[in-house]
Amino acid sequence: MIIERILIFLLFLIGFSAIVAMRNIIKKIFGLNLMNAAVVLLFILEGSRIGSQAPILDDGIIHMVDPIPQALMLTAIVIGVCVSALSLALAVRLYQATGSLDIDVITKRLADEH
Amino acid sequence: MKALTHSKIILTILILGLAILPVILSDAPWPVQARDYLFGNAKADTGADNTVSAIYLGYRAMDTLGETLVLLVSITGTMSILINLGRHKMDEEAVKFSLEPEKLPRHSLRTNLIEVVASKLGPIVLLFGFYVMLYGHISPGGGFQGGVILASGIVFLALGTELKTKLTNTIVLSRIESLSFLFLMLASISGVFFESGFFGNPVKTVQNLSPNFIILLNIIIGLKVGTSIAVMCIAMMGGSHDH
Repeated sequence: MIIERILIFLLFLIGFSAIVAMRNIIKKIFGLNLMNAAVVLLFILEGSRIGSQAPILDDGIIHMVDPIPQALMLTAIVIGVCVSALSLALAVRLYQATGSLDIDVITKRLADEH
Repeated sequence: MKALTHSKIILTILILGLAILPVILSDAPWPVQARDYLFGNAKADTGADNTVSAIYLGYRAMDTLGETLVLLVSITGTMSILINLGRHKMDEEAVKFSLEPEKLPRHSLRTNLIEVVASKLGPIVLLFGFYVMLYGHISPGGGFQGGVILASGIVFLALGTELKTKLTNTIVLSRIESLSFLFLMLASISGVFFESGFFGNPVKTVQNLSPNFIILLNIIIGLKVGTSIAVMCIAMMGGSHDH
């Protein structure tokens, strides 16, 4: 159990470091996606600690996992898709306006315009 | 200067790591009360076998409405940004999907693999999406999942062929999306007239609640999510694709 959590922690840190360190805004957006995926995985992992069967009430199901984290993460996944779509569209718009995806170049060119 | 920014980045990552490490490594036991309650009562309360469906369409249906609204707002923003971009484009012909045969090989989105696979796979993926959507109350799946599979089917069809289908027309898709949101609102207030409250299940039987209301909501949400994500993908891949 501990090794999965450390892997999820590393995934989260990779996403965060992509946001902080990368200059390309597309890579920043994918870092955001990685952080989202890490949180989703952490919740599903935690919810599955108290059971071993899928949360569907059927014959022979006596030891099911907690369905609440799964329902919450359904929401989180949809919101993640929304966030990445909107930010990708904004990235396209920035590229159209400045001709670059590098955040430093974008800042410089936008500052030059004003 | 360069080394300074590197050390700043490493410091930031270390601080964040130290901040969330206790969350990741906590060994507090996961509470079982909610699971046990749902195990005993979910079927009787909402009529769905799949407890995840029972939560997001029964107990927390209001939250699903909010989620759908967030999706709607995001689609609106994305589409307004992308459509304003397309207006300035000179060579709009180059981003259309259904190109004339002599232009096909030069287009970057059309490869041989897409030619062969996508159009054949499209209808099968659509069928699977409807299956996941319609059986969401008794098996893994549901409106959102089925809707995303529907969207990939529509994207396959849009990428695939010169076959003229209304399914890849963004105007038709947007109309389906708006109509399904209207039906979602109607379904959400229908319970008021049968004494079960906002988002209550209006279909009552003697012992168990019928899952029909969950199936209806799954279909509506699936159509909504599928068409909106398909519209967004088609807009992102370039152009309106109207015939």
